[in-house]
Amino acid sequence: MGFNSRFWWKWLLASGAISIFLSGLPAMAEDAGNLYNTGYDIGQGQRYFERQCSRCHGFDAKGNDETGAPDLTGRLSRASTNVGIFNILREGIAGTAMLPVAADLPDSQVWQLVAYVDALSIDPTNVNLSGSATSGAMVFTGRGDCDSCHMVSGQGGRLGPDLSRVGERRDPEELMSDLITPHEDVAPRWWTMKITGTDGSYREGLRMNEDSFSLRIMDNDFNLWSYPKTRIESAERVEESTMPSYAQTLTESDLDDLVAYMFSLRKEI
Amino acid sequence: MNKIASLLMTLLIALCLSMPIFAQEDPFETVITPAFTPITWERLLNAGDEPENWLMYSGTLDSQRYSKLDQINTSNVATMELKWAYQIPVIDRAETVPLVVDGIMFITEAPSNLVAVDAATGRQYWRYDHELPDDLRICCGRNNRGVAILGETLYMSTLDAHLVAIDARTGNVLWDVTVANYEEGYSKTAAPLIVKDKVVTGIAGGEFGIRGFIDAYNAETGELEWRTYTIPGEGEPGNDTWSGDSWKTGGSATWITGAYDPDENLVYWGTGNPGPDWNGDARLGDNLYSDAAMALNGDTGELVWHFQFTPHDVHDYDAIQVPILADIEFEGRTRKVMMWANRNAFFYTIDRTNGRFLIGKPFATQTWAQGLDVNGRPIRVPGMEPTYEGIMVSPPITGGTNWYSPGYSQQTGLFYVTSFDGEQEFFKRDEEYEVGERFTGGGGSYKQPMDAFHSSIRAINPVTAEIEWEFPIMPRSSAGITTTAGGLVFTGSADGYFFALDAATGEELWHISLGRRVHAAPITYAVNGQQFVSMASGNVVYTFGLRD
Repeated sequence: MGFNSRFWWKWLLASGAISIFLSGLPAMAEDAGNLYNTGYDIGQGQRYFERQCSRCHGFDAKGNDETGAPDLTGRLSRASTNVGIFNILREGIAGTAMLPVAADLPDSQVWQLVAYVDALSIDPTNVNLSGSATSGAMVFTGRGDCDSCHMVSGQGGRLGPDLSRVGERRDPEELMSDLITPHEDVAPRWWTMKITGTDGSYREGLRMNEDSFSLRIMDNDFNLWSYPKTRIESAERVEESTMPSYAQTLTESDLDDLVAYMFSLRKEI
Repeated sequence: MNKIASLLMTLLIALCLSMPIFAQEDPFETVITPAFTPITWERLLNAGDEPENWLMYSGTLDSQRYSKLDQINTSNVATMELKWAYQIPVIDRAETVPLVVDGIMFITEAPSNLVAVDAATGRQYWRYDHELPDDLRICCGRNNRGVAILGETLYMSTLDAHLVAIDARTGNVLWDVTVANYEEGYSKTAAPLIVKDKVVTGIAGGEFGIRGFIDAYNAETGELEWRTYTIPGEGEPGNDTWSGDSWKTGGSATWITGAYDPDENLVYWGTGNPGPDWNGDARLGDNLYSDAAMALNGDTGELVWHFQFTPHDVHDYDAIQVPILADIEFEGRTRKVMMWANRNAFFYTIDRTNGRFLIGKPFATQTWAQGLDVNGRPIRVPGMEPTYEGIMVSPPITGGTNWYSPGYSQQTGLFYVTSFDGEQEFFKRDEEYEVGERFTGGGGSYKQPMDAFHSSIRAINPVTAEIEWEFPIMPRSSAGITTTAGGLVFTGSADGYFFALDAATGEELWHISLGRRVHAAPITYAVNGQQFVSMASGNVVYTFGLRD
């Protein structure tokens, strides 16, 4: 027999031909791709997300420090596949505030939600960049001198964020904007504090952490300092990046290469 | 020696031998159960006069959270140290405010559990675990904020919208009544309030298209004595402030504890947002009695007056705050007032006998209103409603303040509140109501990191509505406040500190890092003459006292 009966259904699933006959997929999904991933499905998933999930994860799905809900726009720490996302949505995460979706929600709608969450992060295989990642790696350690401040896989400086997996959390457009306008959207961890102590000493450094009663910085020599605020005479907070703009110092082609390189930096699966 | 003499000698020897044992081990310190006497309504009325106990959610019926204890005071608070810690076994955030009754502490836990511990050591007497269904509809975390006590019975709200009566000596269930159907989005998180022989309690679910209410149950039997809806029904005055049938799903939940004035026989309770939260198109009108203070007759539940802080709210500015009652000198005479720092970022002083607005001003950054008119009604800034594209408004959804308790000091006459100066982008969406589903009509997003915003403890003069001092904290806090006759303000912060401020000046006198977010309000009490202060942080209840 030329047609293997064991696999014929897989062929049908892959073609999508029988999707209209399926009322839904198994409640606890184990296999199969997401059949509900058209633009319409993603839109429906977004509607559901805004209504049911945004209270904790934010309307932009970027998470919320207050509720402890994670950013869903980058790599997900608890699910690496669509099936993993589906299972979390169906079952919730025990011991956390992540509750399951309503038990009577049809699987088709859960899959639409999966499609939306999946669409929040870019599939790198679908992205065509004009730059070359290989050339970008050379700019990174060469003309750009990026590694004097940034680490990649344990090599490089300490004065900027570790970029070993930056491709998982920033898309190419955001990476370009980081290079050209680094002062926009600077995370508090990379603000600079200029501190005069009650003993008259002056130090400045990256703001590693600040709370109601204390402050911790790392100075340019990588010394770590912890101040009770009672020991601070004055403190100036510079909510800007210490990184310069590379709009003028690198060519357009260098920048494209750097973006391609940084976008390629992700965890090996 | 005859038998009697022999017996006497034996007894004498036995007595002599036993003396050192008594001297070394005081049975009253090791074995005795504290003298737990029933909590009568009389005791609740005068709860402020037994400051060794913390007998209700807000300490006293006027909700001032002011304790007459002064053993810990401005001169010695810096020497406070940890006495004990109680670890809640279920990992979730603790919003619990314990009660203390004659040396026993009652702590509620997430999701809807209750434990009784020795208030001097934190060691357990009993626990009650409430069974919950696994398809709860809850908007904002599995919380329980506390219990009420009357006689020897504790009253607890549960997430499946039940009210449970529990024997305070054993943890046994005396009765368990369904207040509303959780499958329709109703839930219960707040501590009830005892009014005479009734258990007065609210409902949560304002994000699920519920119709809010305030209930009173017979403390003995659990029978419903009265229910007052926070949205008037068809034909009732105020129903016409909702267009169409929107009143049926208008929210106006009551998920925090109210206050009571025995002289006026009025129960004061705050109400939450109208629903859907961020889209007011289908509920045109003022949407009474959402975002309001309601004053109800304590015996009948009849509405005596109301004051609506935010008519036709489209920003989720719940009036879910604990009302604080005090008699203060206002414009030359003593006025019975209610003080209210609202989520909409305005502070109000209101005559609590009739609901008349006396004074009000912003206490936190706000951009939605130009100010208040002579009646306290906000004068809106046009064009600040949420849009499909998003619009930036202050305060953000979490408000200038929120549900966490403010405090009032009888010494300073100041009102203390945790405030937040932030902004958020508000979005509007079109949604149809479906039973048991979220019904919010939009949402919000922060565009800056939390650290870019400003939070503080603010002391407000209720006569002028001016801020007398402020103590900066970061980031946003959701801790409540307790004041004492020791001249202190106790509170905490989201970055995991518990601290004491000078109530008069705002100067910091003591702080300790508890490591996790403080999401509850502190209480203070005494056992065997020693004052303690307790505060939950993360999943732990910490108790402090002066160095022995």
